[in-house]
Amino acid sequence: MVQILRRVFLTLLFLSVSTSTTFSMSGEETQEQGSPIDIMGTVSDHNSFELPFYNIPLPRLFFLKDADGNASFEGFWSTESAVKSGLFVEEHHVLETTQGAQIIIDFSITSHLIYFWIGMILAVWITMNMARRYKKGVGRNVEPKGAFQNIFEVLFVFIRDDIARDNIDSHKSDRYVPYLFTVFMGITFMNLFGLLPWAATATADITVTAVLAVITFFITQFSGTKDYWGHVFWFPGVPILVKLIMLPVEIVGLFTKPFALAIRLFANMMSGKIMIIAILGLVFIFAEMYGSFTGYTIGALFSVPMTAILYFLKAFVALLQAYIFTLLSAVFIGMAAEDHHAEEEGYYVNHVE
Amino acid sequence: MGLLAAGIGAGIISIGAGIGIGMIGKSATESIARQPEASGDIRGAMILTAALIEGVALFGAIICIILALQGA
Repeated sequence: MVQILRRVFLTLLFLSVSTSTTFSMSGEETQEQGSPIDIMGTVSDHNSFELPFYNIPLPRLFFLKDADGNASFEGFWSTESAVKSGLFVEEHHVLETTQGAQIIIDFSITSHLIYFWIGMILAVWITMNMARRYKKGVGRNVEPKGAFQNIFEVLFVFIRDDIARDNIDSHKSDRYVPYLFTVFMGITFMNLFGLLPWAATATADITVTAVLAVITFFITQFSGTKDYWGHVFWFPGVPILVKLIMLPVEIVGLFTKPFALAIRLFANMMSGKIMIIAILGLVFIFAEMYGSFTGYTIGALFSVPMTAILYFLKAFVALLQAYIFTLLSAVFIGMAAEDHHAEEEGYYVNHVE
Repeated sequence: MGLLAAGIGAGIISIGAGIGIGMIGKSATESIARQPEASGDIRGAMILTAALIEGVALFGAIICIILALQGA
């Protein structure tokens, strides 16, 4: 019975996935740019929360400055009501102000923000539930119960032992485990939500990854030891001229690390999405150029199998990138929090010379 | 022109990143073959270094995307 139910559920899931994909693809045929599919439009942020057959409009919040220079805060439940109020006109899915007003900050809640929240809340919620279970003694006095807790324990021990304790000094490492684990789970959930065709990948947005990287940046700087700052501002053990050359290099290096962290996650998630859309888009491009039969043949023989393979690759990359982000965060924090022994190091250098 | 530059740039980036990651993979597999008991550590170092190279390659890729968007 359970087997049958599971099979029916899987079939329904598959159907909803495939139909909603075709819906969204064919809906874009009617845009005026010339190309039958709009890749960047599909990847970019939207002001609606998409479900398989329904779009929920999201609130638009603006901080405005009107023609007289008075600042005001305007909130609307949806893009439509914002247009109805007469303050805005919609042009190419972008709201433009009327009456000489200016948008200072656009606080609108978007689909990427919603998925960011979902990912983070799921991560925190699961971890807190599990923590309550461990407090009761399940997993501590007796063995962990159920597949769920076992998976959780494997992941958590992996983050603690292989990522935190391997890269950060042992007496400090446990302090950073909560952050590393939250980031790992959050990014994993956000990446995996991106695998649903109607959903948005929050991590394919540079702002989301930049926020995560900035948090890592601040944690790194605040856990920096005296030695770390010494290495940044006055590199030990080299002539004074080299010290002066190293100073700007090291200061730039502080900022390139989180920058690379943000760009890496963003570009990996973005490229996976673009690849899948582009390959599926071949169906529509061929259908427009050589008739629908050619398009469907290309789709059946090339696009769909290729997309299926890419889909598994994307699922793997989703986990891998979450791991790499966490690992590199731990490495950066570890480099800053490391207790160098300056005297020992200097002695070593002199000795070699 | 921007599109052309983006295309050529993406190609050169792929060459560079391919050589770099290929060399990492080569030395990693060689060292695992030489010392199978250290494969865990080697794998970690391999992924870390590959991620660093990938970061540099992605900087280039971002520049190419910007160029392509401006050229289009």
